[in-house]
Amino acid sequence: MDPLTISRFQFGDTAAFHILWPLLSIGLSLFMFFMEWAWLRTGDVRYYRQVRFWSKIFILTFGIGTASGIPLEFEFGTNWAAFSNAAGDFFGNILGFESTVAFALEAAFLGIFVFGWKRVSPRVHLFSNAMIAVGATLSAFWIMVANSWMQAPVGVVVENGKIIVTDYMVAIFNSSSFISFLHMEIACVETTLFFILGLCAWALLRTRTTDEYKRFFLQAFKFALTITLVVTPLQIGLGDLSGYLIAEKQPEKVAAMELHWDTNPAGTGAPWSIIAWPDSAGGRNAFDIAIPDALSLLTTHSFSGEVPGLNDYAPSDRPTTLGATITFYSFRIMVAIGFALFGLMLLGVWYHYKGRLDEAVSDHRFFWKLWIFAMPLGFIATEAGWMVREIGRQPWVVYHLLRTSDGLSSGLSTPVVLTTTVLFTLLYIAFGVLFVYFTYRIMKNGPDFVELPPSRVPGI
Amino acid sequence: MIDLPTIWFLILGLELALYVILDGADLGLGFLSLLPQSEKARSILIQTVGPIWDANETWLVIAGGTLFGAFPLAYGIILNALYIPVMILLFGLIIRATAFEFRAMGEKKRFWETMFGVGSLLAIVGQGFAVGGVLNGIQVVDGHFSGGSFDWFSALSIFITAGVLMSYVVVGYAYLIKRRHFEYTHESFSRIFIAATVTFGAFASATILLPQEHPFVLERWITEPTRTILIGLSILIGLVSFLLIYCVIKKTLHRHLHSICMTIFVLAAAATAYAVYPYLIPPALTVYDTSSSAVTLRFMLWGIGPLLPIVLAYNFYMYHVFRAGRNDEHLEDY
Repeated sequence: MDPLTISRFQFGDTAAFHILWPLLSIGLSLFMFFMEWAWLRTGDVRYYRQVRFWSKIFILTFGIGTASGIPLEFEFGTNWAAFSNAAGDFFGNILGFESTVAFALEAAFLGIFVFGWKRVSPRVHLFSNAMIAVGATLSAFWIMVANSWMQAPVGVVVENGKIIVTDYMVAIFNSSSFISFLHMEIACVETTLFFILGLCAWALLRTRTTDEYKRFFLQAFKFALTITLVVTPLQIGLGDLSGYLIAEKQPEKVAAMELHWDTNPAGTGAPWSIIAWPDSAGGRNAFDIAIPDALSLLTTHSFSGEVPGLNDYAPSDRPTTLGATITFYSFRIMVAIGFALFGLMLLGVWYHYKGRLDEAVSDHRFFWKLWIFAMPLGFIATEAGWMVREIGRQPWVVYHLLRTSDGLSSGLSTPVVLTTTVLFTLLYIAFGVLFVYFTYRIMKNGPDFVELPPSRVPGI
Repeated sequence: MIDLPTIWFLILGLELALYVILDGADLGLGFLSLLPQSEKARSILIQTVGPIWDANETWLVIAGGTLFGAFPLAYGIILNALYIPVMILLFGLIIRATAFEFRAMGEKKRFWETMFGVGSLLAIVGQGFAVGGVLNGIQVVDGHFSGGSFDWFSALSIFITAGVLMSYVVVGYAYLIKRRHFEYTHESFSRIFIAATVTFGAFASATILLPQEHPFVLERWITEPTRTILIGLSILIGLVSFLLIYCVIKKTLHRHLHSICMTIFVLAAAATAYAVYPYLIPPALTVYDTSSSAVTLRFMLWGIGPLLPIVLAYNFYMYHVFRAGRNDEHLEDY
C-alpha cells in the first residue's frame, strides 16, 4: 500500500468517525435548549429534569466529538501538505473562522453549562446553553462552507499552482454551501431525534421500572415526535434540492452515483436503476433493474432531459468503477432511510392521534421496538450521504482544480502513516464501545428525581 | 507601517503563548497526577483541571487555524515534517479529553485517572518535540518538506521537551496554589524547586545550542541592535526566574506564583519570536514566503481579529465563574 491510499483511508476513517458526534451534539444542544427554555418559562421541574438527564449524554458526545475533531484539522497539514499549500488561501482561512468563532464559543460555554448549574443564574445558564447550540451550528456552517467550496470552487484564480481568492463573498456563498449546510444541520436534528426516540422506546419497554421513570421518557418521546413531524419531510425536500444542484454542477458525480454509463440520446429519457452492478471491465453494467425515464425526471425535472453518462469522461477524470459502485449503493441507502424515517414518523403520529402512546406498552410491543431498530438509521444515512459527496468528488480534492493525488504530503513513510491509522482506528473503536456502554448505564439509571433545581428560578 | 504577514506572525505568537500559559498548567497537573499521592490529592488535581482544560485547548485549535489560514505553506511543511510529534500530541489530547469524560461517568476512576495523566504526558512530549523540531530547522526544497521522518529528534529538541515538561509542572503547581488547594501542595515546594531548576537548565542549554544550529541567530546575539534587546530579555527572564525560585524557597507570595510564571512564559515567547523573526521555518522560509494572499490576510484580520478579544473575554468570564473558593463541592456536579 502506498502513502496516498493509506492517507485517504486515514482521512476517511477519522472523518467518518468524527461526524457521528457532532450529529448528536448539535441535535442535543438544540433539544436541551428548548427544554431549558420551557423550564424557565413554566417553572415546571419536569423540564429541568429533562435538561439535566440529556446533558449527561450530551457531555459524552461532546467530549468524543472534540477529541476526534482536532486530528482532522491537523491531518490537512500532516498528510495533505500540498493541498494545504495550494488551497490554504481559502480553505485554511475558513477553518480558522471555524476554530475561532465557533469552536471557541462552544468550548468556553460548555464549562459553564456543565459545571455552572449552581454558580451562575438560570438566565446565564440558559444563555450558555444557547451559545453551545449557536457555536455548534456555526461550526457546522463553516465546515460545510469549506467542504462545499471543494465541491464547487468559485471566486478564485489559480496562480503558480496556488488557488488564490479573488472574491470572498462569491467563494463563501458558492452554489453548494447553503443547501449543503441546511441538509447537514437537519441531518443532525433528525438523527438526534430518532436516537432520543429509540432510547425512550427502549426505556418504556423495560419492565420493573417506576412510573416516574416511564412518564419521564414518554414526555421526551412525545416532545421529540412532535419535532420529527416537521423535520422528516423537510429533509427529503432538501435532499431532492441538493441532488438537483449536483446534477447541474457535478454531472460526473451524478453519473457515478447512478452507475449511468451512456448519455441518453436526444428525445429519450435516461432510466433510473433500482439496483445495478458494473461489468468487471467497466464501461457498462453487467445487470440492472431500471425504471425508464426516471433519472431524467429526477435530475432535470423533464422526461427526456439529457443526463451525461460516465463514458463521456476520461477514466482518469471521473470516479473509479469501485468508487461509483460505492456511491450508487450509499445513495440508495440514504434515500431509503429518509423515506423510512418519514414513514415511521407518520406511524408515530397516528398512534399518538389514536391515544395509543398512553396505553400499556406491552400492548404495542412491536410498535415500540420499531423505534429501537430505527435508532442507528440516521447515523447510517448521514455516513452514506458523505460517502456519495466525497467519493463522488474523486479524483479531485478541489473540483477540477486540484487532484487528490497532487495534494499529498511529501516524504510520507508507509509504516508511520499505517501505524497512526491503526492507532486511530483502535482508539475510535474503543470510544464507540465505551459510548454505547455509558449510554446504556445512563439510561438504566435514569434521571435523578430527587435532586432539586437551583432555587433562584422564577416560578418555584 | 507594520505589514500584514508580520501582524499575523504576532497574532500567531500571541495565540501560542496563550495556549502554553493556559493549557500548560492543565497538562502539568495532568502529568503530576501520575505521581504517587493520596486519592484525595489526585482527585483535587483533576477537579482543578476539569472546567478549564477544554476552553484552554481551544487556543491550540485557534492557533492551528491561524497558521493554516495565514501561512498555508508553513502549515503544510511544518506538520508534514513533524508528523510523528504532531500525532503524539493529537493522541495525547484525544486520550486526555475522553479519559476525563469517562472518569466522571464510570466507576474505574483510577484507570481513567491514569489515562488522563498518560494523555497529558503524551501531549507535552508531542509539543516539546514539535517546538524543538521547528527550532531545529526543517529541510525544504521547492516549497516541499524534503527531510526524513525523524529529523525532529535532536539534542536541542530533547532539551526543549524536558524544559516544556518541567515548566508545565511549575505552572501547574502555581495554578493549584492560586486556586487555594495549597494544603495539598505545601510539602511539594521542593518539587517545584527541582522542576524550576531543571526548566531553567534545559532552556539555557537550548539557548546555547540554538545559535550553533542557525548562524543567523548567532549573528543576532553578537550584532546591534538585536544584541541589546536579546541580552536585555535574557537578563529579565533570569531575574524573574530568580524571583520565582526565591518565592518557592521562602514559601512566600503564594497567590502570585502563577502570575510570575505567566510573566516568564510571555518574556520567553517574546524572546523566541524576536530571535527567529522573520523566519517562520528557520532557516528556510520567512513569513513573507509562506503567507496567504493580501486579500485573505486582510479578510481574516477583519473577520477574526475583532473576535480574539471576545474569545479572551469569555475565557476570563469562565475563570471568574470558577475562581478560587466558590462552591468547590459542586465541581463534580455533572
